[in-house]
Amino acid sequence: MGRKLGVYTCSGCSIGDAIDVERLVSIAEEEYRPAICKAHPFLCGEDGLSVIKTDLAEGRVDSVVIAGCSPRVKTDAFTFDPQIVTERVNLREHVAWSHEPRTEDTQMLAEDYLRMGIVKAQKMEPLEPVSDGISKTILVVGGGVTGISAALEAADADYDVVLVEKEPQLGGSLATVKKYFPTHPPYTDLEETGLPEKIAKVTSHPKVKVYTSTRIVKTEGQPGMFDVTLQNGGDPFVHRAGAIVMATGWKPYDASKLPHLGYGCSPNVVTNDQFEALIGSGPLVRPSDGKPAESVLFIQCAGSRDNNHLPYCSSVCCMATLKQSDFIHQTSPETKVYIVYRDIITPGQYERYFAKVQNHPATFLMKGDVAAVRAQDGRQIQVDVKGTLLGEDITVPADIVVLATGLVPNAADNDAIRDLRDAQAKVQRNESETQRTEAEKIVNRLQPHEGTAILNLNYRQGPDLPILRDGFPNSNFVCFPYETLRTGIYAAGAVRAPMDSAQAEEDALGAAMKAIQSVEMATAGKAVHPRAGDLSYPSFLLQRCTQCKRCTVECPFGSIDEDEKGTPKFNPYRCRRCGVCMGACPERIISFKNYSVDIIASMIKAIEVPDEEEEKLRVLLFMCENDAYPALDVAGMNHVHYDASVRVIPLRCLGSTNIVWIADALSRGIDGVMLMGCKYGEDYQCHFAKGSEIAHRRLENVKETLQRLQLEPERVEVSQVSIDEFEKVPEMINTFMDRIRELGPNPYKGF
Amino acid sequence: MGEPHAVQPDQKVIEDLMAFGAHDFKKCFQCATCSAVCTLSNNDFAFPRKQMIAAQWGLKDKLMGDPGPWLCFYCGECSKNCPRKANPGETMMALRRYLTSAYDWTGLSRLMYSSAFWEIGILALVSAIVVALFTLPQSFGFGLLSRSGAAPLHTVMLDKFAPVGMVDMGDRIMALVLSFFLLTNAARMFYYLTRDQKIPARLYITQLPSLILHAATQKRWNGCKDSEATKNWIRHLLLVTGYVTMFTLVVVFLPWFQVNDSSIHWTSFLGYYATTVLVGATVWMLIDRIRQHGEMYQFSHLSDWLFPILLFLTAVTGIGMHLLRVNDLPMATYVMYTVHMAIAVPMLVVEVPFGKWAHLLYRPLAIYVAAVRDKAAQCSSLEVAPAGPVPA
Repeated sequence: MGRKLGVYTCSGCSIGDAIDVERLVSIAEEEYRPAICKAHPFLCGEDGLSVIKTDLAEGRVDSVVIAGCSPRVKTDAFTFDPQIVTERVNLREHVAWSHEPRTEDTQMLAEDYLRMGIVKAQKMEPLEPVSDGISKTILVVGGGVTGISAALEAADADYDVVLVEKEPQLGGSLATVKKYFPTHPPYTDLEETGLPEKIAKVTSHPKVKVYTSTRIVKTEGQPGMFDVTLQNGGDPFVHRAGAIVMATGWKPYDASKLPHLGYGCSPNVVTNDQFEALIGSGPLVRPSDGKPAESVLFIQCAGSRDNNHLPYCSSVCCMATLKQSDFIHQTSPETKVYIVYRDIITPGQYERYFAKVQNHPATFLMKGDVAAVRAQDGRQIQVDVKGTLLGEDITVPADIVVLATGLVPNAADNDAIRDLRDAQAKVQRNESETQRTEAEKIVNRLQPHEGTAILNLNYRQGPDLPILRDGFPNSNFVCFPYETLRTGIYAAGAVRAPMDSAQAEEDALGAAMKAIQSVEMATAGKAVHPRAGDLSYPSFLLQRCTQCKRCTVECPFGSIDEDEKGTPKFNPYRCRRCGVCMGACPERIISFKNYSVDIIASMIKAIEVPDEEEEKLRVLLFMCENDAYPALDVAGMNHVHYDASVRVIPLRCLGSTNIVWIADALSRGIDGVMLMGCKYGEDYQCHFAKGSEIAHRRLENVKETLQRLQLEPERVEVSQVSIDEFEKVPEMINTFMDRIRELGPNPYKGF
Repeated sequence: MGEPHAVQPDQKVIEDLMAFGAHDFKKCFQCATCSAVCTLSNNDFAFPRKQMIAAQWGLKDKLMGDPGPWLCFYCGECSKNCPRKANPGETMMALRRYLTSAYDWTGLSRLMYSSAFWEIGILALVSAIVVALFTLPQSFGFGLLSRSGAAPLHTVMLDKFAPVGMVDMGDRIMALVLSFFLLTNAARMFYYLTRDQKIPARLYITQLPSLILHAATQKRWNGCKDSEATKNWIRHLLLVTGYVTMFTLVVVFLPWFQVNDSSIHWTSFLGYYATTVLVGATVWMLIDRIRQHGEMYQFSHLSDWLFPILLFLTAVTGIGMHLLRVNDLPMATYVMYTVHMAIAVPMLVVEVPFGKWAHLLYRPLAIYVAAVRDKAAQCSSLEVAPAGPVPA
């Protein structure tokens, strides 16, 4: 190896009280013979740090192992040049603070952790960032209020911007709106949209190139170097961009799916966006005969918060209805305005506007469910409302019925399109009769998705953004806004989540900042969220690849494409460094310089497994670095004790777990393996979206293998933990240990 | 529930309510905080939430058939706790004004509640008639000036100025007139309150004690849970005793009450009691109203001012006349007598059947009908429940 390793053990923060640091240091010296092995009472202090820095500067060491506090703290103090391999061993939170001091078990725990850290440091290699040919241009897709705002934000921050709009003019949905509901104090008066000024500003901005009537034919490459082929009538042309802001907005829900609310039965039943055209100029008239409308009835949540239609709340329809009511009051003060609602949703200060419109004598609100809309030609429409707050079912006559329909994102369903294409290819190949008919079925089912792609990415995993829920492309609405499952592409505005234009403008700012961050990180060769700043990236030993495609399929971010033969083609800038591919690969050919199947396997080997006679159990605990590991740290900070038989190995994501580690551990006589990852499923908290779920799936297969080996499947457990469950984690460990004690020692001990 | 029935909101109702002092009720968003804090509210009677939405929708029939607003004594807990500042308490007050006007078949009430001009104009008109009766030549009335010779100015001889027989007759005619209007209005109220429910006739008799009890004691007021409830109730009760004493003296015992000369009579002592509580209570109430003390006095409609002011002036002019008479100041006595009549008569004739004073009958009547209706509902559910099929 030739690595000059320095092992520095800190005895501060009561580490020295809990363990025999002298003995620890001597074990490291005897077993690993590092270049330098020192103990210090206060390593993160000026003096302690100068010891390390002097050794580094004078060339005595080129790699350091710091045994002290958790790697999650004092990161400023213990971060050296990326060329210097640095490993932190957690003797404080995971040993001294969470176990009985000065006992044999605690000492053994500390010794194992130090061994594991030294072995890992010996195997890690210095990092060399990739970085070349990065474009800092931001491409904004969609010229509505979100797109324009994002373009202006990025351009004002001195980035070149390309703004692409498919329609002949900019403005999007907001251009169809006459006035906007109040977004400023006192929140009672309608406002101008301000759109013409924004359009003028963006079209004249020297840093913004605007393309209208333009579509994206193809998007190739990766963050920092997207080659986007555009077409507006003539020959396609290519723009290089570093990051993309997806601001394609929304479309109204298709009201023809709402015949039960009278849509299509009478010209006097309209949607809210059709109604927008009827108001604002002169007295309100019935669409059917042009006579003045004496009453208008709004049906809120028309096809919204309804599992047969849109399951979500679009958050703007209530305000739109109030605004339209306000318009009616202004132009036709005698017209009665009925609003039938389930809940009026007017977040924040909008409540003031709600109160203002409601206080008009001609506004009539009624909570209830619409049972029927009886619309017969030539007659006044009758609306039956059930379960009202009057305590009775009522019928309200109305000249015009307005369906307050919700927002549907202008997004493509990436996975559906990919499945469609794969099925189409299968039909083409026609390998067998059954395969072809199966594929044809899929093609028929997914046919509506043909041609819906907007970005037309050339990713193996499909041409657009994967959707998270209800058709919205995102990665996690709460934790990581703007992030999509495609690195360098950020969703903003109503395509991301239902929102009004004021929120969309703010969203645009957020997404623009994300896009800028993305190109800047790419320039420095660093990963973006959630491993922001990480310089490592996986490399593939392709000579041994069997083209099984698992890495391509399982990568949550579509980082890996394939050539014709199915050999993976890795795109480092798309990568978020989670290591899911590493966990997926059955040939174990995917490795990071500082994180690999071999490194973790070596750490497992470094654990001293006591003989059967010693009656000491050993359990391996793989913990996700994002939630589970910090939770255990917090347990340590609270001095909560747990069984000292566990040996924790942090993982970038539980999805990077390679099954071989479990086999290694059990065959070495380790008595059980626990895996703790983030919550998965609909409200997942996995920072890499699918990693935790994938790990759970892989583990299902392992249990079968265990049974074949005559090992109890209960020896391996995978569970979900969130960062705030620090009180639960020690209990989970203890419960698992009790179970292992019941099962008895691993029969493979000593083999 | 049954079939849904058509609703046609009446915007006129809403405009009336706004004119009658409810400015914020349209803001109510039906959270029912008011019902949660109101002692009147229970599972079957979401008060005042349901009244609020019926008012918002201007559902005239529903409102006129609802005894609810009259059960409320305006402790104001609802307004204090309303997150929307929709003022349910004041809305109930405005509803009582509205209902007074709606039950009044003459339309006078509505006219007076909607316009200060009409309110004061009608009171002034009645006042002028009274003054005229005393001042115009004898052929038209009692005639103070024309009969100045008849009414001696050297000593008080009230009978010469206002013969007790004639005044007594006038009093009774007045009592008849105001009772006629009040009772016909109350009959309309009774009709609206009872028309939507089948009520066994016997219940009207068995529940009758509640009518008398509440008319006499207003004890429900004490059921409000605000800290002022007991004080307000007792103050009001005192006022009622003073008022009833005075009214009885004037209408029933006038020949004994209206003393001709400057002597003191046994009825004077009843008069002293009545005057004391009337002046005391009205002044106290007026001070509270001026200071906007408590939720009840946050908003004041003209009718809220006129009521105690007129009562106060009646009592003050009454005692004033008494003092002038016992001091044997004839001219001053006659003038004060006229002024007293010019205040008391319009107050009684106008305010009792058409104004705020109508509550002396409407409140107990509503409490009574509410008790009858509750009982009827209870009885009908008792009859059905045991025989009804067990739900699958």
